[in-house]
Amino acid sequence: MDIDIDARGLECPRPVVMTKEALANTTEAFTVLVDNETARDNVSRFARSSGCEVEVKDHDGGFLISIVPGRASEVETGELASCTPETGTVLFISAGEMGGGDRELGATLMKMFLYAYAERREPPAAVALMNAGVKLVTEDEETAAHIRRLEEQGAEVLVCGTCLDYYGLKEKLLVGRVSNMYEIQSILAGAGRLVSL
Amino acid sequence: MFMLDKDLALVQTVDFFTPIVDDPYLFGQIAAANALSDLYAMGARPLTAMNIVAFPCSLGFEVLEKILLGGYQKIHEAGAVILGGHTIEDEEPKYGLAVTGLVKPSEMTTIAGATPGDYLVLTKPVGTGILATSLKGEFITEDEMGDAIESMCALNREAARVFSEHGINACTDITGFALVGHLYEMIRASGAAAEIWAAEVPLLEHALRMANMGMVPQGQKRIEDYVPKAQVQAGDIDAAVMDCLYDPQTSGGLLASVPAVIVDDLVRDLRGGPCPRAAVIGTITEDEPGKLRILAERRD
Repeated sequence: MDIDIDARGLECPRPVVMTKEALANTTEAFTVLVDNETARDNVSRFARSSGCEVEVKDHDGGFLISIVPGRASEVETGELASCTPETGTVLFISAGEMGGGDRELGATLMKMFLYAYAERREPPAAVALMNAGVKLVTEDEETAAHIRRLEEQGAEVLVCGTCLDYYGLKEKLLVGRVSNMYEIQSILAGAGRLVSL
Repeated sequence: MFMLDKDLALVQTVDFFTPIVDDPYLFGQIAAANALSDLYAMGARPLTAMNIVAFPCSLGFEVLEKILLGGYQKIHEAGAVILGGHTIEDEEPKYGLAVTGLVKPSEMTTIAGATPGDYLVLTKPVGTGILATSLKGEFITEDEMGDAIESMCALNREAARVFSEHGINACTDITGFALVGHLYEMIRASGAAAEIWAAEVPLLEHALRMANMGMVPQGQKRIEDYVPKAQVQAGDIDAAVMDCLYDPQTSGGLLASVPAVIVDDLVRDLRGGPCPRAAVIGTITEDEPGKLRILAERRD
């Protein structure tokens, strides 16, 4: 059998992190090879809690773990989604501007979009901001004000901590709370409807 | 223990490790609280400390300053002084302290006095190993680890004071050998057996969820190796809860073996004071010495 991820010689949590990355990038079955029981148990539990089917076989002094990702519906009923109950609409913003093309125009469009969304009075369940999207709640007071209105209307605003660190904006957060990939992916996966910018 | 004269002894202990949190100031505090823990378990008073540091110059000296400041602050809080220390250059930062304390041998608490009928009192929740692994894997943020960080930074001094006021039979601090490993050492030294009530053991926020996500640290296996399987008899207990009982702790709480007649007053003083989450988590029994039973729930 092919080995897709060789996690031998790595201390936890590395084998689980590698499995998590693989799950994020594929819907196909894959295998993970580990060389100790802790890693075997951790990877198996993580995969099961993510709605996958898991099979473990002894392999050359270690363990070969076969992982078959669950269908989306199964993932939602699994442990991952149960941490954050299924939400309604989620607004996912991963850029500072709206769409490609001219950046100045894109920035203006983003402002107009957020203003219009806040005016609508039907807030999304959550707003998740990633990559340059975090600038909308830090450097730009105008967009931060629109997003704050969404928050006041009941939206949960989640801001990627890794991105804030990367851009050196952690101290400048104006609205929302610092979150992580685990929580954000869980909310995106559990979204009733996803609006992605 | 080194006898200075017939009534007074010197006790020393040392511990150091790699960063368990990203914030250098908090890391320094945790390392110092952890190093002092052993002295408090013995009922000793800390006097002096020496820093032990390994540090990569590339990280910048502001980071080192913050680590040392955190350590200084906790040693100061403990009423001790830092006399000096030693630093070497190393790829991965490490920090800890060698600490020295004074104890009257007649008043010293050891791990050897646990007596059947005693109750086991734990002063801090467990789960720091699982949470540190989760932070390393970026499954949680340092903000979400607040509960664990607060617990690890807290000195065991006040818990030790309550113990000495009431008079206890045995005490140990919970660190790398986890609750199960340290309790096993205690009952072996005491020639007794024990029972843990899993549902009564206080757990840190997110610890169960992270255990279920596969964030069990590598060190746990070493505890399973250290405590012979034949000595442990576990009931039908959730796997994640078992992981917490076997979770190696950093700057964990004190575990005391407390005579039944004083346990209610002692726990009331702990909860109303320094340890709001202190709990009675089991009992010392008359079973075969070194035998450890893990029950799902309390029974008495």
